[in-house]
Amino acid sequence: MKEAGLALAATQGAAVGAVQYTNYATKFASFALRLVACTFSVLSNAADIPLYPTGPSADSSFVRFVNGTDAALELTAAGSQAKVQLDAKTPATVFYPVRAKSDIKGQFTQAQSKSAIAATVKAGEFVSVIALADGATLKHVTIGEEPDDFNALKVSLAFYNVSATCVSAALQVVGRNVMLFEKLGVNALTRRMINPVKISVQLLCSEQTVGAPLELGELIAGERYSVFAVPAAGTTRIFIASDAVAR
Amino acid sequence: MAAGTLAGIAMLVLGESHLSLPGYLMNPLYEDLTTQGATVHAIGACGATASDWLKTVEVPCGADRFKGDTVFKGRAATTSPIKELIAKDKPNLVVIILGDTMASYDNETFPRAWAWQGITGLTKEIAATQTPCVWVGPAWGTPGGKYFKNDKRVEFMAGFLEKNVAPCVFIDSLKFSKPGQWATVDGQHFNQAGYQAWSANITKALAALPVVQGLKK
Repeated sequence: MKEAGLALAATQGAAVGAVQYTNYATKFASFALRLVACTFSVLSNAADIPLYPTGPSADSSFVRFVNGTDAALELTAAGSQAKVQLDAKTPATVFYPVRAKSDIKGQFTQAQSKSAIAATVKAGEFVSVIALADGATLKHVTIGEEPDDFNALKVSLAFYNVSATCVSAALQVVGRNVMLFEKLGVNALTRRMINPVKISVQLLCSEQTVGAPLELGELIAGERYSVFAVPAAGTTRIFIASDAVAR
Repeated sequence: MAAGTLAGIAMLVLGESHLSLPGYLMNPLYEDLTTQGATVHAIGACGATASDWLKTVEVPCGADRFKGDTVFKGRAATTSPIKELIAKDKPNLVVIILGDTMASYDNETFPRAWAWQGITGLTKEIAATQTPCVWVGPAWGTPGGKYFKNDKRVEFMAGFLEKNVAPCVFIDSLKFSKPGQWATVDGQHFNQAGYQAWSANITKALAALPVVQGLKK
């Protein structure tokens, strides 16, 4: 059992995020985020009931980190010595709640290569910071999403394409002539809802089959998932990750 | 005497301000449910959102009723973590009456991510205890008032809840009245007649749900 701790540095305003992993094998089961409390105006205009807010001052925002390379790498937050390893078994973190408009800073490290992370997340946005190999060095791509498809009765599946050699990406349901996603450009994402069924998908780049099918496993209604198409030794490979939010 | 439509059901009922003040929903609902044979523990917390029921949060006012008269609380009121409440009461049905506190009536943009996070956080906690649950959505208010409640947003909120509260079963309070039919004191909180009507409709709707009928003894 490996334990690690990670603090996300958010430098704008008074926001400070702290993330602590206590059980790496269960995919970062423990999360603690300390933010300066949002202070809502609680006025007392009525004699019988104090006025209270009917919502937050800003929508929630989230960030996650994804390893889109062929080898394990480490994620470090600015101002912290704690590291999180992202590898083939666990290629993505959960989505961490962060304060909207705060600056998220950290670093991907793989062998001697480093890629400094600096991201800003809008209110209501889910941002994925995806590490990629750039020759012998590291780089990363940041892709944001503002979903409006929340639905506890369906599976929400996203498709991220960050493989420069796959200029028109598609995912086809194996065994059926059904395209889940088509004509997705590079450094882009698309999302749709599907029924909670067990399926495998095949990647196509420019309408040509690439690599082996990927079994998506038991997809659960109400849960959200992403399939990533990433560069791999001159070709493109795909993997799936949960879009779970740290609670 | 015929058994009530909710005979033998132990309910934990959680809500927002509607369940928190004298003359509001607490007493008529408690009495309607117990008249139909349910054992009820009802807790109200003014301004509490879904995620506030995952922890202990201080609220401006609240109420608690369980086998006796209602205890109305002022600023001493808090929410309690749902898992602790379920472990203590061991209900066979949880009823959540919540919507107005999450509708952001005064904000042009509805905070979808925040609402989804809060709603699913609470429903997952309840589901983890394998306790059936019902979520009662907001009722029509009267446009305006200090909470800026408006028909368009309350309709959107009800629809958002309907899509996101599973595995809880959703009861749509908007079907109980027409917009503006139940008079309010501030656009959001009803007068006594409104709360009595809402209570009667909730009780009737609960009794008609298959999940509730399956719990009857």
